[in-house]
Amino acid sequence: MKPNFIQKVTNWGNYPIVEKEMKSDDSFRKIKEFIRDHNEVIARGNGRCYGDASLGEHIFSTKKLNKFISFDRLNGVIECESGVLLSDVLEISVPQGYFLYVTPGTKFVSVGGAIASDVHGKNHHAEGCFSEYVIEFKLMVENGEIITCSREENADKFWSAIGGMGLTGIILTAKFKLKNIESAYIRQESIKAENLDEIFRLFDESESWTYTVAWIDCLQKGKNIGRSILMRGEHAFQHELPQNLREKPLRLKKKFEPTVPFYFPGFVLNALTVKLFNLLYFNKQRKKEINNFTDYETFFYPLDAVHEWNRIYGKSGFIQYQMVIPKETGKEGMRKILETIAHSGNGSFLAVLKLFGRHNPEAYNSFPVEGYTLALDFKVNSKLKKLVDQLDQIVEEFGGRIYLTKDSMSRSSLTNYLRNTESSKFVSLQHKRILNNK
Amino acid sequence: MIVLGSTSEVAQAFVEEALNKGEKFEKIYLLTSNRETTERFARHIDVKFLQQAEVIELDLMKEIDYTRFEKISSGLLFCATGYLGEGTEEGLYDNKNTERIIDINYSKLVPVMNYFAHKFESRRSGTIIGLSSVAGDRGRQSNFIYGSAKAAFTAYLSGLRNYLFDKKVHVMTVKPGFMATKMTEGLPLNPKLTATPKQAAASIFAAYKKQKNVAYVLPIWGIIMMIIRNIPEFIFKKLKL
Ligand SMILES: Cc1cc2nc3c(=O)[nH]c(=O)nc-3n(C[C@H](O)[C@H](O)[C@H](O)COP(=O)(O)OP(=O)(O)OC[C@H]3O[C@@H](n4cnc5c(N)ncnc54)[C@H](O)[C@@H]3O)c2cc1C
Repeated sequence: MKPNFIQKVTNWGNYPIVEKEMKSDDSFRKIKEFIRDHNEVIARGNGRCYGDASLGEHIFSTKKLNKFISFDRLNGVIECESGVLLSDVLEISVPQGYFLYVTPGTKFVSVGGAIASDVHGKNHHAEGCFSEYVIEFKLMVENGEIITCSREENADKFWSAIGGMGLTGIILTAKFKLKNIESAYIRQESIKAENLDEIFRLFDESESWTYTVAWIDCLQKGKNIGRSILMRGEHAFQHELPQNLREKPLRLKKKFEPTVPFYFPGFVLNALTVKLFNLLYFNKQRKKEINNFTDYETFFYPLDAVHEWNRIYGKSGFIQYQMVIPKETGKEGMRKILETIAHSGNGSFLAVLKLFGRHNPEAYNSFPVEGYTLALDFKVNSKLKKLVDQLDQIVEEFGGRIYLTKDSMSRSSLTNYLRNTESSKFVSLQHKRILNNK
Repeated sequence: MIVLGSTSEVAQAFVEEALNKGEKFEKIYLLTSNRETTERFARHIDVKFLQQAEVIELDLMKEIDYTRFEKISSGLLFCATGYLGEGTEEGLYDNKNTERIIDINYSKLVPVMNYFAHKFESRRSGTIIGLSSVAGDRGRQSNFIYGSAKAAFTAYLSGLRNYLFDKKVHVMTVKPGFMATKMTEGLPLNPKLTATPKQAAASIFAAYKKQKNVAYVLPIWGIIMMIIRNIPEFIFKKLKL
């Protein structure tokens, strides 16, 4: 048996699936050789982007760059290799009273992936993107040289790599700030909204909350469009906690985490089951408003509780469609989007609405711009391309854009917002697709 | 804890598993021929577990300076040293390749193991864990140079276990089947038969706690190797394994 590194690779949406060379190593010298020996290289973290962003002719997986380098427990500054997952960071930081400033909806992403996509969380309106808290990182560039990038040193590289989708090189290590917490719990309020107007009003009212997000039932039609549950939260102080949690406020009990054992057959997910799911989800909450405490896992990562849940979409996979529409016309745009989806009958299990705050002009490759963002899961089937096209049309009309880290089929005019990333070495399938469709 | 072959992912995962399970070590001695990556691991466990570790150079292919090991004292030795080499036809007839496989997996390794075994014997306590291989259970055409060295190593561990038994030192032989590590990266392995370093470490740690003598990492390998060992030679020699 001679090693051949060609393998089937796919990201979280299981679409597309490619057979390409993928290698991993923890030696910087070997990584340099890999870059030197290949024409088209792209980094891959934990493959949690949904589409084709971290796929390429020659994929370098950072899985083995999984070591911590330092943790300043006094000031909450951590440095680690780029393949370290956010879950690994939380494992050591939470018991010490530190949390990530910005976290996406899954903790199973790598630090490198978080920087390359400049991920956002439920607190974008208040605390911005991941990059706001990045102090510096080491980037391996085209000639294999390792350069340190920060706001002061190689600042041009620093900002182009942030949100740069791996097109500027391989991030090897990163140093970033953590936020103080007194407990591993969140004081949470969930409020039911009957329609879009109400949910938009609730978002505006909740501006002083650090975390806000809404789950939308996107099969509703007419006056019920936008029926949703808004969740808002704050890190709980120790003294706020109920007595039973107050003693060890930074320790969570280990929970059972089920795994989806196989790919669900295609027929399981159809309009009916999606409707049922949404019905159950929204009726689970009877009362108009619930206030309680929940642990950070449940609040930030409800989907992580079921490992490999992406398999329920079956072998043909799914896409996540996430767009942002600027604030001025956002509500109207959202309404049109939701109407189009309801009309198509192509339901989405997961529909998450958020309000983005201001765009950091320095982080010019970051996806978020001030406005409304909606993320929807759609199973891949023969009708999907048409729906995506219709949605793209609306997003374009309203001057919005698509999140690259989730894209695999949107029109290129919505995903070509990156600047200063041109490289003949670092090339992803996504980037080629976008350039070719221009 | 003393680790031989500290860049091995299984060894590193084992160290993490033990620390995660609350084992305490005065110090972890990481013996390695690759200082750079091992230093990184030492820093990592210091950051993650506040566990002190020291990197000590050991290159089996060079003259060994035993004075470096004098100060080492511990009740647990984990040996993950191994070299797969080229199991191909060119590999077979390349003497350098053959020698290197035999040296790293057996002939140069055993004296080092003996050095530490002696220390354990004088303490009259402790555990030695050696990673051998299922490849040593029966020679197969695809990797029998490696397999033969591992067979010798298995026999060595078994003898050592016997010898140290009444000296209160326990020796455990581990036979991992396929593992998804640097050594096997790029090989088309059946995922059902392949353990990740993390799984392997958890299983080895559990076996260590139970004071097992011989442990397969995935139980299925015990069965597979029993079958393979029992295929009559006149059939076996015709198989393409
Ligand atoms: C359930 C779920 C919920 C999510 N919720 C959110 C959310 O709320 N907000 C949000 O912003 N995102 C969200 N995401 C998307 C996810 O956060 C991003 O796709 C993230 O970048 C994935 O990280 P990864 O390590 O898996 O990287 P990959 O998916 O492997 O790669 C993503 C991109 O980063 C690049 N990259 C990865 N590592 C490196 C490196 N070391 N150097 C250079 N480039 C690199 C790749 O080339 C690729 O372009 C979610 C994803 C899932 C599955």
